[in-house]
Amino acid sequence: IIHPQVASPHLQLFNSPEEEFKWLLQEEVHTVLRQLQDILKEASHRFTLPVSGSEGPIKQENFILGSSSAEQVKGVLTLQGDALCQADINLKMPRNNQLLHFAFREDKQWKLQQIQDARNHVNQAVYLLTNRDTNYQFKTGSEVLKLMDAVMLQLTRARNRLTTPATLTLPEIAASGLTKMFTPALPADIFVNFYINLNKLCLTVYQLHVLQPSSTKVTTPTSTPSLLPEWGSQRYEVSHVHKVECVVPWLNDALVFFTVSLQLCQQLKDKISVFSGYWNYRPY
Amino acid sequence: SKACASSEKQYIVSASESGEMCLWDVNDGRCIEFTKLACTHTGIQFYQFTVGTQREGRLLCHGHYPEILVVDATSLEVLYSLVSKISPDWISSMSIIRSHRTQEDTVVAVSVTGILKVWIVTSEISRMQDTEPIFEEESKPIYCQNCQSISFCAFTQRSLLVVCSKYWRVFDAGDYSLLCSVASENGQTWTGGDFVSADKVIVWTEDGQSFVYKLPASCLPASDSFRSDVGKVIENLNPPVLCCVVDRSDKQLLICPPVTRFFYGRRGCFHKLLTQGDSSGRLCIWSVPDTLDQQDTNEGLKMTMSTTLQEAFCRLTPCPAGIIDQLSLIPTSHEPLKVTASVYIPAHGRLVCGREDGSIVIVPATQTAIVQLLQGEHMLRRGWPPHRTLRGHRNKVTCLLYPHQISSRYDQRYLVSGGVDFSVIIWDIFSGEMKHIFCVHGGEITQLLVPPENCSARVQHCVCSVASDHSVGLLSLREKKCIMLASRHLFPIQVIKWRPSDDYLVVGCSDGSVYVWQMDTGALDRCVMGITAVEILNACDEAVPAAVDSLSHPAVNLKQAMTRRSLAALKNMAHQKLQTLATNLLASDSSDKGNLPKYSHNSLMVQAIKTNLTDPDIHVLFFDVEALIIQLLTEEASRPNTALISPENLQKASGSSDKGGSFLAGKRAAVLFQQVKETIKENIKEHLLDDDDEDEEAMRQRREESDPEYRSSKSKPLTLLEYNLTMDTAKLFMSCLHAWGLNEVLDEVCLDRLGMLKPHCSVSFGLLSRGGHMSLMLPGHDQALGKPSYSAVELIRKMSITEGLGRGTYGVSRAVTTQHLLSIISLANTLMSMTNATFIGDHMKKGPARPPRPGTPELCKVKTPAPVTRHAAQGQIKQGKI
Repeated sequence: IIHPQVASPHLQLFNSPEEEFKWLLQEEVHTVLRQLQDILKEASHRFTLPVSGSEGPIKQENFILGSSSAEQVKGVLTLQGDALCQADINLKMPRNNQLLHFAFREDKQWKLQQIQDARNHVNQAVYLLTNRDTNYQFKTGSEVLKLMDAVMLQLTRARNRLTTPATLTLPEIAASGLTKMFTPALPADIFVNFYINLNKLCLTVYQLHVLQPSSTKVTTPTSTPSLLPEWGSQRYEVSHVHKVECVVPWLNDALVFFTVSLQLCQQLKDKISVFSGYWNYRPY
Repeated sequence: SKACASSEKQYIVSASESGEMCLWDVNDGRCIEFTKLACTHTGIQFYQFTVGTQREGRLLCHGHYPEILVVDATSLEVLYSLVSKISPDWISSMSIIRSHRTQEDTVVAVSVTGILKVWIVTSEISRMQDTEPIFEEESKPIYCQNCQSISFCAFTQRSLLVVCSKYWRVFDAGDYSLLCSVASENGQTWTGGDFVSADKVIVWTEDGQSFVYKLPASCLPASDSFRSDVGKVIENLNPPVLCCVVDRSDKQLLICPPVTRFFYGRRGCFHKLLTQGDSSGRLCIWSVPDTLDQQDTNEGLKMTMSTTLQEAFCRLTPCPAGIIDQLSLIPTSHEPLKVTASVYIPAHGRLVCGREDGSIVIVPATQTAIVQLLQGEHMLRRGWPPHRTLRGHRNKVTCLLYPHQISSRYDQRYLVSGGVDFSVIIWDIFSGEMKHIFCVHGGEITQLLVPPENCSARVQHCVCSVASDHSVGLLSLREKKCIMLASRHLFPIQVIKWRPSDDYLVVGCSDGSVYVWQMDTGALDRCVMGITAVEILNACDEAVPAAVDSLSHPAVNLKQAMTRRSLAALKNMAHQKLQTLATNLLASDSSDKGNLPKYSHNSLMVQAIKTNLTDPDIHVLFFDVEALIIQLLTEEASRPNTALISPENLQKASGSSDKGGSFLAGKRAAVLFQQVKETIKENIKEHLLDDDDEDEEAMRQRREESDPEYRSSKSKPLTLLEYNLTMDTAKLFMSCLHAWGLNEVLDEVCLDRLGMLKPHCSVSFGLLSRGGHMSLMLPGHDQALGKPSYSAVELIRKMSITEGLGRGTYGVSRAVTTQHLLSIISLANTLMSMTNATFIGDHMKKGPARPPRPGTPELCKVKTPAPVTRHAAQGQIKQGKI
């Protein structure tokens, strides 16, 4: 039998499960929490990268979407935090090869709700963790599990917001005011939408085609967004959909941080659960 | 949040993390309305506006989205939203201000980035049909991070209190300039606060302490020096004076911060109340006096009242019993062994209970329920009801599965159990033999499932086990070996789905990742995340109806295609699914209707529920009155010799049923007797033609061995046994629902002549309401506990155990009473109609064979009057209740 004193700091031996559990609650939990905090602060920081140093206005980054010459849509989007502050879209009309150009009006910005939501979720997770700093004494395993559940819920949500593209239906786009942000104004038969899918900033352009009022074509409302049965007085059908995208490096980092943190949380939960037989009935 | 202003309609609204919202009637636990939104709410406030005679209830919701949603308080429909033009962000807290001066109601909110927003909502009336959003009137950064609460001073109508986690601040409500700021000390975290009076605020912390502060003169509009500090640096502001500490008396360990609220009532004896609820189930109330005297200042405010759920349960006499407590007593302990898992086998009328010591008990469900709920001679018998104990697990049993119930392809002898000891055991329930132990998992078994019908022949004879080490196994009952073990999952397994056509087992984990396993080879086909994972899981759902009905394939594919097209469609589908699920829950009743002659025992279902992982199972009994009536009549009609058996059984049935502990009668509203009768006629015909089902009853022989009555009846057709189960169910049901204590003469008749049994204590009922939402009454609902937490329950009456046991069940809620009356009347009518023809002469035959019951001797003498009594009983019940 090796006594705990003999063991090296890296190999800790315990006389009893109770002792080991105590160590887990008092030492290991805080180590993991600190680690989590560091990672998540880093992730949170990614969402508000300042221009220089640690303070100041948020950096603007340009992203070029659809760089290959084969694309019919090209866009240069400027992202500042969660807002698209500039957008230049070039669209080659398939019918007549006419080149259309639109840009955001000077006074307009488009907020990417997905980024804001993800950022808020991470900040909430960081808040939960900072509330339990090294001075805090965990007395029960369930307390730790509860905290981990809360943190994981926020992280899962943050990640889901980025991994689940917020593709609006055409009526939603029409109602959102996105169409009114451009100069020159978008033609009535063109809709655009911006969203995040995983680590990519995406731009979708829908070209509509006016249906003759007498048209017998059946449009089913369930098949939105590809069909917009009625908008205004006329009926439309989507004739072309163009999608272009560009990787946003810091979103990629954030996603990696989320995944790593979630795994850390789960590992801690698993460790605590091993001792459930002890703490279910008695708190230490 | 509360959802109705009037005192007659006590409605509350609840919202879950998944975005579900339910509107509840507090009086009878009915779910009136439910909905699901794609967003999560973190706060809801009720707001009623009156213009002229028109009163409309609104719920203002904020959460993980950048608006405030205005929801109709009766339909739960989103009417419009309050939107920010300038830096929109999530709202962390809000407050509704009703100004008497301007007649203008405003919503003041603080966003997560610390920007104060103001919306005016009074103008709403004129734009009722309008769904356009309202933009904010004002937007001002007040630099309050992690805002916990914002409240308006109702006394001065001039100041705002904003509580953040590390400081709280008072602002002038006129121009939102800072009047004072207090930082927290000793690392405490504030969680909320409110104004107690014009010059005092109360602020509470995460550990449940509250502090009353007296504000400096610069914060008081009545004072000359009001706003004298405006513009100063925070450090130079006049600090408020701490004048009182309100603290919890017991420092019990809490796993999460308690919830504290301050109520300022304009009526009643308690003007100002501070209430706090915590994770241990404790509710504390402090009455906050207008003037704090010296004693309060020094010693802290005394708690006015404190109670916990645990205390309320402990005070109950008799103590609410577990379903098999009489079989689980251990000499060394006051507490019976906990039931940790259970499954009900309706075909046999058996309840299988796994316990914390690893043993499994099989008992007849009605018998054990009668023991727990009703008084009778069975109370004197040891080891009653007859049962069988299976021993094999070394620690707590965590799950039980009777595969034959789910699919007839499984051997009906097999019962499968999983335990904390990582093992899965196959049992033969008839012989009590342990057939095989699987030890393939590295963690507690958490779930046992049955693969769908169209899996490969090999998989069809497996059960699927899920363990807490995040592994899934396919255990073949036929080969007695594990044919596949899918481990390597990083996160706990949340859901198991199947793609039988592709031979795939689909594992959904709690982090949203999905693992697709090839069942035959045990190879991991792929692991995906995000939207693809959601799509794969949904696609499996679509495939389920296909499994049932191969003709529906094209439709399924179409649906899948549509699902993949857009998130909106996906969400829509999810919403529909929720509704279908809910509707199906209800509809499952009605679909059973058609099958009733086949599943002849479904008049009773026993469902185990857990309120907490470490609590023992509690059991809810669901009675399907319609099924019960159909069974009674069917059995009578299908048997030529009914005349001989039924009267006695009837008497017994109507006389002796009941059970205690946790009890729920789920009944459909439409138990209208006339309708039922018509269905019955048809069903009887069907039943006469198909007798196969009754073969299953052969299994019930096991029980007969220990029961003299059954033994004596062995020469009789097996149907007789089934008959008794039905009658037992009827007996249990009638005894529980009868309004004991209303009429002494009637009670005596019920006890002595009809053989009904009195409950030990009042039975707790439940109510199934809209969308399959269920509410259960807690034991002791009929006893005045003198606690504010219970005051919402209408008609609290203290009743002695001897009189008025049943009265309680009729006083609790109109909805429950209606259901009970309809049920009891229809069942009583059925029993009467059954016996009228065949009443004389036959109970004698059976009477002596049965264990002596108090009612039996008299029964023989009073055959003819009995129906009359029933009539009378009904008459009285009707008069008394409707």
